[in-house]
Amino acid sequence: MHELDEQLRELIPRLRRFAVSLTRNPSSADDLVQASLERAIVRWADKRPEGELRAWLFSILYRQFLDAHRRSRRYARMLEFFTGRDDAQPSVERTVMAQSTLQAFDQLNTEQRALLLWVSVEGMSYKEVAEILEVPVGTVMSRLSRARQALRQLSDGEITSPALRILK
Amino acid sequence: MISLPPSERDLHAYVDHQLLEADRRQLETWLAAHPDVAAQVLAWQTDAQHLRASLSGALQQPANPELDPAVIRQRIKRHSRRHLATAAVLLIAVSIGGVGGWQARQATLLASLLPMTDAMQAYRLFAQDNILPADYQVQGHGDMQAWLDRYFNQAYRLPDLSQAGFKAVSGRLLTTDQGAAAMVLYEDPQGRRISFYIRPPGPSNMLLPRGSRSADGLQAEYWSGAGYNYAMVSPADEPTTQMLKQTVKF
Repeated sequence: MHELDEQLRELIPRLRRFAVSLTRNPSSADDLVQASLERAIVRWADKRPEGELRAWLFSILYRQFLDAHRRSRRYARMLEFFTGRDDAQPSVERTVMAQSTLQAFDQLNTEQRALLLWVSVEGMSYKEVAEILEVPVGTVMSRLSRARQALRQLSDGEITSPALRILK
Repeated sequence: MISLPPSERDLHAYVDHQLLEADRRQLETWLAAHPDVAAQVLAWQTDAQHLRASLSGALQQPANPELDPAVIRQRIKRHSRRHLATAAVLLIAVSIGGVGGWQARQATLLASLLPMTDAMQAYRLFAQDNILPADYQVQGHGDMQAWLDRYFNQAYRLPDLSQAGFKAVSGRLLTTDQGAAAMVLYEDPQGRRISFYIRPPGPSNMLLPRGSRSADGLQAEYWSGAGYNYAMVSPADEPTTQMLKQTVKF
């Protein structure tokens, strides 16, 4: 049990970084990390991960984020219904020019950010990523390719074309 | 083995260091002869480097103590204790009222008329039937009073029954309509059990005059003070009953 805690402690900075890249907000990122650690600790008791701990934690965190995101979108729609307008409109779409790779990265969609962080930053294998996303390795590679093209285009300051958005 | 010219996937695998060594070398030779593709690959590599560099700062954030696994474990424990307490109070409601809401309501009314029915039910469930595991167990020199003080401010001290051979062994948290309640179980070397019960006084369950009553083979001594109601419950007609009357000076 305490052995797990030690391993968790070592991975917390990575989890927080991943959470920030998903939420783009440090305090909700920490909430997300906290919820994910809770789930990991509870699950560890009856269902230990087969593979690497880091990938397992990333997968828990990613799912929690998607769930929360879905819930808040539903909430936003409800709000829209009652107030007659959409308060949760994302800022002026993605037509902003990116000045740096990081800014370009922030404009990618959730899965693309996760993919690039896992592969380019964390150096995870395609297979690990495929297991997290529950898709074949080939699908990971083609999505990664699209994410890279998108990042490239945004970094070059190209205005995101509607065609690119369809690729999400 | 990859084939040449490389597919786009091979190029990405190259960028991500996921090619076999032989393939990697073969591809590098090929790239050297194809500057346009090499430029594309280099751009991806540069993006990845920039990304690593700009995200490396995020690893250096000051630690957030709320995220420490030990703290999180405690939080989980508190939550599950609350669930247990809820489960316990459900059991009590069901066992007082039988099935069916109206009966339960009747029982609730009855409970508010007869003092400390919940204390006696708790004794039945926990001391006689051993239905739920304890939330707190005294181990070695563990301190039951300290455990209780975490939940009840300035309540009367736990009665000292050591002269009669009874020691506090375990505690359970329960919930009532009026807030948290707790039962502390005492045991003597013969395995006889007495419970101490503490709860907030309900609006209809006000502070109680000192009294005692028995029902279904159990005897309850009850009283109030320091903002709570208390009861000591033991099997009726046992030497313990008499002992309680004498030992516990309130």
